[in-house]
Amino acid sequence: MILFTVIGGYLGAGKTTLLNNILQNSQDRRIALLINDFGEINIDAGLIKSQTEAQINLTNGCVCCSLSDGFHEAIEQLASASFPPQHIIVEASGVADIFNLSQYGYSPQMTLDGVVIVADAETVVAKANDKYVAQTVRRQLAAADLIVLNKIDLVTRDKVKDVTKWLTENFPAATIIEAEAGRVPSALLLGIHDKHADPGNLDPGHHAHEQYSTWHFHSGHTVTNNSLTEFVAQLDESVVRAKGFALLEGGTCVQFQLVGSRREISPYPSPAEGISVVAIGLRGVLDLAALDKLADELFPEPG
Amino acid sequence: MNPSNPLATHIAVRDGMILGAGSLPELEGWGEYTLDETFADKVILPGFVEAHAHVMTGGMMLHPYLGFFDRPTADGGVAPGIKSYNQLIEALIAEDAKLEDPGQQLIAVGFDPIYFPDQPRLTRHHLDQVSRTRPIYLHHASGHLATVNTAMLEANNVSASLRVDGLGRDDAGELDGELREFAAMALCKTGTREVQYSNSREEALRDFGALACNAGITTCTDLAGSAILAPKVLQMWHKVTGDDAFPMRIAQYNIPAMPGNTTDFDAVANQFIQLRREQTDKLRFPGVKFVLDGSIQGFSALLNPPGYFKGEDHGQLLAVPEQLMDWLLPFHKAGLNIHMHCNGNKTQDLAIETVAQLIRADPWLDHRHTITHAQLTTQAQLRKMARLGLCANFFTNHIWYWGDQHYDITVGPERANALEPCASAIREGVSFSIHSDAGVTPLGSLHTMWCAVNRLTPSGRVLGATEKISAAQALRAVTIDAAYQLHLDDEIGSLEAGKQADFAVLEEDPLAVDPLHLRDIKVWGTVLGGRQYKAAG
Repeated sequence: MILFTVIGGYLGAGKTTLLNNILQNSQDRRIALLINDFGEINIDAGLIKSQTEAQINLTNGCVCCSLSDGFHEAIEQLASASFPPQHIIVEASGVADIFNLSQYGYSPQMTLDGVVIVADAETVVAKANDKYVAQTVRRQLAAADLIVLNKIDLVTRDKVKDVTKWLTENFPAATIIEAEAGRVPSALLLGIHDKHADPGNLDPGHHAHEQYSTWHFHSGHTVTNNSLTEFVAQLDESVVRAKGFALLEGGTCVQFQLVGSRREISPYPSPAEGISVVAIGLRGVLDLAALDKLADELFPEPG
Repeated sequence: MNPSNPLATHIAVRDGMILGAGSLPELEGWGEYTLDETFADKVILPGFVEAHAHVMTGGMMLHPYLGFFDRPTADGGVAPGIKSYNQLIEALIAEDAKLEDPGQQLIAVGFDPIYFPDQPRLTRHHLDQVSRTRPIYLHHASGHLATVNTAMLEANNVSASLRVDGLGRDDAGELDGELREFAAMALCKTGTREVQYSNSREEALRDFGALACNAGITTCTDLAGSAILAPKVLQMWHKVTGDDAFPMRIAQYNIPAMPGNTTDFDAVANQFIQLRREQTDKLRFPGVKFVLDGSIQGFSALLNPPGYFKGEDHGQLLAVPEQLMDWLLPFHKAGLNIHMHCNGNKTQDLAIETVAQLIRADPWLDHRHTITHAQLTTQAQLRKMARLGLCANFFTNHIWYWGDQHYDITVGPERANALEPCASAIREGVSFSIHSDAGVTPLGSLHTMWCAVNRLTPSGRVLGATEKISAAQALRAVTIDAAYQLHLDDEIGSLEAGKQADFAVLEEDPLAVDPLHLRDIKVWGTVLGGRQYKAAG
């Protein structure tokens, strides 16, 4: 399964900076980034292995592909490659229909990992009321699992509060992550890929991750479908992302994930052993003790 | 259409060029001649100029047609409209019987659910009545939907466990065979690929040329996609249009700026200038097209308040307003004519504001930039357009094909009556053409004129009588005024000394017949650069 993430946001919100940050901190994963215009992305020369008109290969295993031949063609080519990427990230144009684009993440060989919308703290409310782009901007925010409220260092703290309140009221399905200069830990944007991730190796070299904490749970015992469903439903908005695998009583393996308010439990082909969960949230907001209590109640040690 | 010389009995042509129109004695001074009396009992008009069509949609004619209205075919016949689901199923059964290979998929086109408001949605169960084994893909007229049968879902391994939102489902959660938008349509790859492939075939272009000849059209404005920048495609266009048997000139406008493409517009403008170096009399590159929004009947056009009458607003802006000026300026500066697709009047405000900025930045006054479709143009917009030298290209065929739906559903009575305001454009001094947008609606300049002159809908309603124009005014809109928007009015669009000998040859005079009879006038064929092309059938 190839993970699929859409990164959108109106012109000037800071998508490109965010994408550059992702490429520099790929967590050793093979990421394919589909972008509109190579001219905008600014990749360190030292990171470039080879380059053609349609593709830039990076030394860390990532590739950047141009969308000039069309979106569907680019996706097909990547998915059918002999060594396909583990994660496809699409940079949506400023006026793209994000919801329709995100549906490609449900294609047979893919899993929709998340829709991330970058919003400029200073301008997003004005854009959402602009004569021409109001509908576009609101529709994008409505499609978001995660809203990166960017450039918070360029506005007052009161402004950040006001914008956050407005976003929460109008787009309750999304979780809001504050950022300066597009700096957000990759694990928050792109998911948790190390079962034993701890805050220290979430995103080395980044100071932004100091704002987040991580919660882990593991038990070697099978769980019931009901208790797992209940557990996923009980995770509240303090959890920005969660991911896990479980072996259900009866022998079915499932994976589950939470991004923003989107929760999914789906069959998983590889065998799991008991149950493993990783959750990330804001440091001081993510209630580690409450999560321990919830897990102990729903997944008790037998006997 | 030459006001200095409106009527003549004879026309003299040499080497594809008009020497003059007048009486035989007046023309004899040009020297030795052969008198060709083929058209002695016909009416010769300037060849029609289709102002907005998509020539590669000729590829859609390679498949069975299941649209609601009759549609002309390249061989001069008519593909009849489908008025009920039973007819649709019967037509598909007949097509199924024509295919020898039982495994070959059946592609059909043109269906539009908007004409079946009282029916439940068309589903795979309807199409399964045609075949349980042969995959069937019914491509809708909008291009945004398809309906497929169970065999097509199975052939592409599309099952109910897939979670793509655009997969239509019944109450029990089972797939119903409707595929909405591209992520869902792409799941039935075998079908979508064949549809796409049809629109790249050489036969598509040739068939479109035949349709044009049958309709009296000698120049077609192709406001199409960007594939022509691919050398192979360009080569095919040059080959087909260069063939003497191909009866049509094409004024090609590329789309450089759909989302997802490059934003280096200086470089793109330069590509257009390169294209122009290789242009011929039959393949011209006057300018560039930008698409700014969706369609009214798809509720994806951007409307100013009070917005849509009924139905949910899916208004979709396809350009970033802050970038539009940056996009357009390199083309404007390079002297490339710009046609902007605006179905909604809000996007049209954006287009008008941007052209005002272009002129301030670079005072090219003879730009003839054009708003194409311009369906909901308001009176205030017409006044601004007149001042800025902006032209309109009205989609008058909408009055017939969707006029009732616009009145009842999309924009309501007042704005439906003001749709395609041709008479107001004349009064306010905005130069305009009228178009079919073929294959969105059938190609046919006489039909397009008929719509502008009569403003009738299928229910018998006259949609906005005050916006009717005369047949003479409509004729200008499909000849000289359409040529004006292409900066080709010095070469085509009227019968005048020194211009191309391009004629529409008709059996009756459109200025003399009952206006209701306009669309029924028989077309003998065309003359292109002095060469005669007889219509098929």
